[in-house]
Amino acid sequence: MESLFLQQTLNGLIIGSIYSLIAIGLTMIFGVMKIANFAHGDYSMVGAYTAVFFVAWVPGWFGWVGSILAAAAVVGVLGVVTERLVFRPVIGRWTDIDVIMVSIGLFILLENLAQLFFGATPRIISDPFKGATVNLGGLSTSVLRLFCLGFSCVTIAVLQIFLNRSKFGIAIRAASQNSFAAQLMGIDINLVYRLTFAVGAALAGIGGVLFGTTFAVHPIMGAMPTLKAFIVTILGGMGNIRGAIFGGFILGVAESLGGNYISMQYQHAIGFFIIILVLLVRPSGLFGAKEGT
Amino acid sequence: MSHRRVIRLCAGLFVAALFFVPQVIEARYILHILVMAGIYTIMTMSWNLLAGYTGQLNLGHAAFFGIGAYTSALTAMNFGISPWLGLLGGGCVAAFFGLLLGFPSLRLSGPYLAITTIGFAEILRLVATNWVELTRGSLGLSGIPLLTPISIGNWTMKFYFERDYYYVVLVAALLTLFIIRRLVQSEFGISLQALRDDEHGAQSIGINTAKYKLAAFTISAFFAGFAGGLFAHFSRLVCPHTMSLHVTFDALTMTMIGGLGSIGGPILGAVALTFLSEWLRVLEGFFKVDIRLVLYGMLLIFTIMFMREGLVGVIKSLKDRFLGFGRASDGGADHD
Amino acid sequence: MTEILKTENLSKHFGGLCAVDNVSFAMEENIIMGLIGPNGAGKTTLINMISGAAAPTGGRIFFHGKDITGLKAHSINNMGIARTFQIVRVFAKLTVLDNVMAALVDRRRHGPWKLAVSSVFRGMYQTGENPESRAEAEKLLDFVGIARYRDELAKNLPYALSKRLEIARALATRPGLLLLDEPSSGLNPAELVDQIALIREINRQGITILIIEHVMKVIMDISDRLIVLHYGEKIADGEPEAVYTDPNVVEAYLGDDSHAEN
Repeated sequence: MESLFLQQTLNGLIIGSIYSLIAIGLTMIFGVMKIANFAHGDYSMVGAYTAVFFVAWVPGWFGWVGSILAAAAVVGVLGVVTERLVFRPVIGRWTDIDVIMVSIGLFILLENLAQLFFGATPRIISDPFKGATVNLGGLSTSVLRLFCLGFSCVTIAVLQIFLNRSKFGIAIRAASQNSFAAQLMGIDINLVYRLTFAVGAALAGIGGVLFGTTFAVHPIMGAMPTLKAFIVTILGGMGNIRGAIFGGFILGVAESLGGNYISMQYQHAIGFFIIILVLLVRPSGLFGAKEGT
Repeated sequence: MSHRRVIRLCAGLFVAALFFVPQVIEARYILHILVMAGIYTIMTMSWNLLAGYTGQLNLGHAAFFGIGAYTSALTAMNFGISPWLGLLGGGCVAAFFGLLLGFPSLRLSGPYLAITTIGFAEILRLVATNWVELTRGSLGLSGIPLLTPISIGNWTMKFYFERDYYYVVLVAALLTLFIIRRLVQSEFGISLQALRDDEHGAQSIGINTAKYKLAAFTISAFFAGFAGGLFAHFSRLVCPHTMSLHVTFDALTMTMIGGLGSIGGPILGAVALTFLSEWLRVLEGFFKVDIRLVLYGMLLIFTIMFMREGLVGVIKSLKDRFLGFGRASDGGADHD
Repeated sequence: MTEILKTENLSKHFGGLCAVDNVSFAMEENIIMGLIGPNGAGKTTLINMISGAAAPTGGRIFFHGKDITGLKAHSINNMGIARTFQIVRVFAKLTVLDNVMAALVDRRRHGPWKLAVSSVFRGMYQTGENPESRAEAEKLLDFVGIARYRDELAKNLPYALSKRLEIARALATRPGLLLLDEPSSGLNPAELVDQIALIREINRQGITILIIEHVMKVIMDISDRLIVLHYGEKIADGEPEAVYTDPNVVEAYLGDDSHAEN
């Protein structure tokens, strides 16, 4: 019994790390530009498809890791493109509803372009570890999943360093707290916007590859990461990166444990239940700052 | 004759003409599209009441549609209740859920409200998928009874064919239009719009914004549920997909492209996109490529960036430019 | 003179910050009372509590002797207190006329469901087609001087005129007490003169006024009494000349480096 609990917790942490990765991107973009991007999950989808093709080109373990980097690059560019064409004209000009709407339009567009180009049949990214499993003191998991957990954590750590130490990272954090003041201090705000989107989207892309390798890749796979990312972001407070990290793991574990002990079929509803409860008590999220009215 | 009267006359003639459509067009396929377009206009008008006039972004609208569909189907199949009553019943049950969903809206807005409404719909969709004893799960309910025959004078509608459904949906859509228009162009409607434009300002003039929001959610849900009931007895198949995010996005896209916050916008959007969708399906047959939804997405983005007031807004500015009637205005309550 | 408004030890705490600290005062009917103080003194928070936009964390408020502490904003408006906002909050997508028409709806008697049902069945309550409401709205717009903009969308109004729209809208709710939050900000000297006249006229018609103001000229000119807030506390309360020369007040303003315009 107890080891089942630990086993499920481990599974939850693994999937949660991927949630965190994707959610960080979303919350970063919201923090800096106040944009709630409903198409965010589609960045993951594009990343996953990038990996599909890259792995076909460069096979093996080496190709797989390369595909993660390729996905990050491709999706990063996509992020910048969508920022420039779709979101930049929006900032400050329109209401909340307009921004959400335009991102819904982007979501529909990307999803169906993918369907158009790649077809609806799911693709598989073959496990670079060939199904190997590992045993950690009674808990077992596949090497792939363990690698996903590790890679996510490393990526998050690298991101934290980037945000805290590098010039660009600090600029992003400054803009996230007060974009007006940041501009006054000489920060090129347009560059920051582009960078934020590039990094945020790239994170989602990486998450997409990890996700797609663990499960499958298909055009409408973007919807779930989007919703999960929003749940995590709201749990952690929109704009709060640390909150997103914690929130991702919390959601992953809650889903895993809840799926096992309560009901497998309603597993995906758990996240929604949690945030509905959280929002009713604290309308700005668990760790969110209270917004002035 | 005054400008307004001309418009009223034309509108009246147009509506009358609509009743003769089945005499002229006999192709069942086209009538089928028209029925679906009609059902969608009720969906869009009800969504518009909440989003366009009250400013509440509900991304779980399909849930009301599905609830209405399942309720009407189940009461007809399990209890032998007349589908006509089922339509009303479906609307009422949906209205109840609308009221429920209204409560979160009292404290949440923007993306928070959006996610809560999505969550609401997703949870219900999962219930519909998993409560197999009640809903037959993913298979859905099939063989839903047709609407029971009614007679008006010598004329009996048996609902074996699309034509009879066309009349019913037409009447339903017109009724919905009539009611929503009255609601919107009244003290109730102006209070909703005040609430939309500035909630604190609205409260400062005595508007109990909580009650108004709940009322808007309830009414919006009722009509969506009613549309769901019509759908159930027309298509005779209801499955959990009926409550999916994609259905909500369809209604949303149609409303935005038609013109959010106007009376004609949702109708225009629903009809235009339903037909566009069909024409594209024909093209797909030729080119083997389905670009319908790609186009939806592009149109939605394009609309928000360049024609914020939708097709209705475009028509209004053309009208202003060429006819010189009316004043420069955008959105707000239509006076058609 | 009867007492229209009274606060007792009214306080508002935000976590560790105390925005309004134990403020007590009373207003008689039909006066114009000024509320001044350096920036951040808590003036708007005080008004927010009286109008119901914010809930006090301590103390009581009495309107015509009735305890209104903590009531919601719409209830307080229905009881006879109206307000304007420091940053204008008009209904942007409605016409100027409709802004006032929305405020004219008798919400003491008609709740949303009643209005909804009667709009469908009787069609009687039609915005713009109800002649009495329309006439009254026009009268109010005329009174504040923006009648010619009646069909203009509120978002197209120049700033100074939208402030007047807010006043017309507040008056439409038939208040006994009107709270004005910095109505003069952003106005040029000519507009100021008009506004002083307008406020005087409103008062002359029997409405008690509590006005927050930074522009000394305005406040000294029209106030019958003056209250000064500083860091959330009331530091002076009395006739304008007396308050103006009160050493506590002078120090508060000078000490904070905020300029008092003469």
